[in-house]
Amino acid sequence: MPRVRFRAFALALLWTCSAAAQGTGGYRWPLPGWLPPPLVPDDNPQTDARVDLGRHLFYDKRLSLDGTMACATCHEQARAFTDGRARPTGITGQQHPRNAQSLANVGYWPVLTWANPLLRHLERQALLPLFGESPVEMGMAGHEQALFARLAADPAYPERFRRAFPERDGAIDLATITRALAAFQRTLISADSPYDRYRYGGREDALSPAAKRGEALFFSERLECFHCHGGVHLTDSLVHARKPFAEYAFHNTGLYDRDGKGAYPADNTGLLEHSGRADDMGRFRTPSLRNVELTAPYMHDGSIATLEEVIAHYEAGGRARGPNTSPFLPGFRLSAEEKQDLVAFLKSLTDRDFVGDPRFADPWKTAP
Amino acid sequence: MTVSSSFRRTVLAGLVLAAGTAAPVFAPALAQADKPVTIRFAASVGDKPFACGRSFDGVGATRSRVTPSDFRFYVSDVALVDATGKAVPLKLDQDERWQHRTVALLDFEDRSGPCLTGTQETRDVVTGTVPAGDYRGLRFTLGVPFELNHADATIAPSPLNLTTLFWNWQAGYKFLRIDLATSGRPQDIKPGDMPKFGDRAASNRLGFAIHLGSTVCAADSPTKAPANCANPNRPVIEFAAFDPARDVVVADLGAVLEGVDVDTNQAESPAGCMSTPNDGDCNPLMRNFGLTFAGQGGQQKFFRVQR
Repeated sequence: MPRVRFRAFALALLWTCSAAAQGTGGYRWPLPGWLPPPLVPDDNPQTDARVDLGRHLFYDKRLSLDGTMACATCHEQARAFTDGRARPTGITGQQHPRNAQSLANVGYWPVLTWANPLLRHLERQALLPLFGESPVEMGMAGHEQALFARLAADPAYPERFRRAFPERDGAIDLATITRALAAFQRTLISADSPYDRYRYGGREDALSPAAKRGEALFFSERLECFHCHGGVHLTDSLVHARKPFAEYAFHNTGLYDRDGKGAYPADNTGLLEHSGRADDMGRFRTPSLRNVELTAPYMHDGSIATLEEVIAHYEAGGRARGPNTSPFLPGFRLSAEEKQDLVAFLKSLTDRDFVGDPRFADPWKTAP
Repeated sequence: MTVSSSFRRTVLAGLVLAAGTAAPVFAPALAQADKPVTIRFAASVGDKPFACGRSFDGVGATRSRVTPSDFRFYVSDVALVDATGKAVPLKLDQDERWQHRTVALLDFEDRSGPCLTGTQETRDVVTGTVPAGDYRGLRFTLGVPFELNHADATIAPSPLNLTTLFWNWQAGYKFLRIDLATSGRPQDIKPGDMPKFGDRAASNRLGFAIHLGSTVCAADSPTKAPANCANPNRPVIEFAAFDPARDVVVADLGAVLEGVDVDTNQAESPAGCMSTPNDGDCNPLMRNFGLTFAGQGGQQKFFRVQR
């Protein structure tokens, strides 16, 4: 009896520690125990009220000038918050040069977007789709007052802003809208795939024999996939609440060589655009491979349609190797069965609960 | 700053004098120490004044017909230059509208006609105070100072909270925004329009945009917050002879577009020139702002003094 009580106490203590570690303000992250929570900026403490407001905004087409696009237009839950297109178009029809990235686990990325090291906070990143003009996405530049008025006029919002931002008396402005959107996006955590159940949950039967063989290939020196797609979210870009040192990396994966010197298309030069260093040509941030089955087409510009073609690209060591192509693209040969195994492993990273989770779904389809 | 100490000296002198003579000399003494100054600006295309909806012929290398739809820019660190060559900063009036700390917005568009990106309000002056002195010249910077440029735009005060001047992709602001429809690049997609969804040609119908701002801001390290931009793109403008009472600083779009082809756009580049280092459309435009572009220095042609 005393022993049982001690164990109960120990468990309670563990839970308390874990709850304390999981952030300030008593916010409880939807996380398995093995995964630390995302890092939250001091000026945007995570609360249920902010998440709820952010979710309503994320799915609200009134955030675009003509009411045709919400954040969710390019970030659909069923596709792990991507849109299935190579490169999306904004409200004016202008095409974005890059592919819409998955938002799964976006709170864990030290830098956001494909290759812009200046964009580190979801709060500021939200300004780009809303107000960006090159390209125009949601087209709200110069119309922020109209946006605030639209939201203020809907009975669904003022009380939600008051609950989310009591210290601002529920002000509806750029600061509160972007902070609420960021708070919701930080809850988009995907960590319950069959691979997670196998790898972290200790469930041997969660993964098929083919996927296990594919895992061995993926983490082999022969294929070198894991050098960039390593770690808890299968990317070398990661930061979280128990990892004080943010890591992130940009790689050239041999997609273009326009001039025999490794040139990428002028509107997609990668990290070079912001660093100015010639050897950063074509370097893009490693995307997570979680839910990769659902996030086609692939690469920064959506130029590869299927997982099989991506594997063929890496098998060749890159379709257009240049001087900056990563040394971790050695090229390799796989048998037909090995390819199937590798695809089986990649598909074991699909988190069906995440893409079906009602907490991340469109709140306007149910009662507001 | 010497404003408060000179103010104190003035007050003391005023009191002493007042005690001795009982004459009301306090006010003139103060005015002498802390003099209000207004620097007037104007926008033109050649010798014709800019106005929304007006078209101008013979612009740039191709003698294009251009119709500007925006004409705004930030200036900062405005100073009068005294007889010894010393630049004395204007202490800008903090009006919570056009001026914040050391930066001021000049705005010549009034949201009429094709000007859909700006505000109805316009502004053609920078106002502030300088200590009394023998001033001969004017110096200012075109652009937003580094610390303000890279601060959090979601909580920035006016005039740094205009979303059409945000440049979040560069973690900063557009220092200058002049958008044009030209003979070769008509601007039939305008912000505010509602074209059909999926119009892929739309990006070719954005006209010719001139957006000046800092670029390559991860030059020091891609792993740190912007600490240094390889291309600050903040030209310092100086006029040796400038009298605020009589002179006006004219921002001349025609002059800054000298030698620039506004009728074509380099493939896979932003519409017009958005300060991108590899964009040939910025050549020689960036140099005409007085900046170095593609390794070649330039002489500013944008501003001139008109008496």
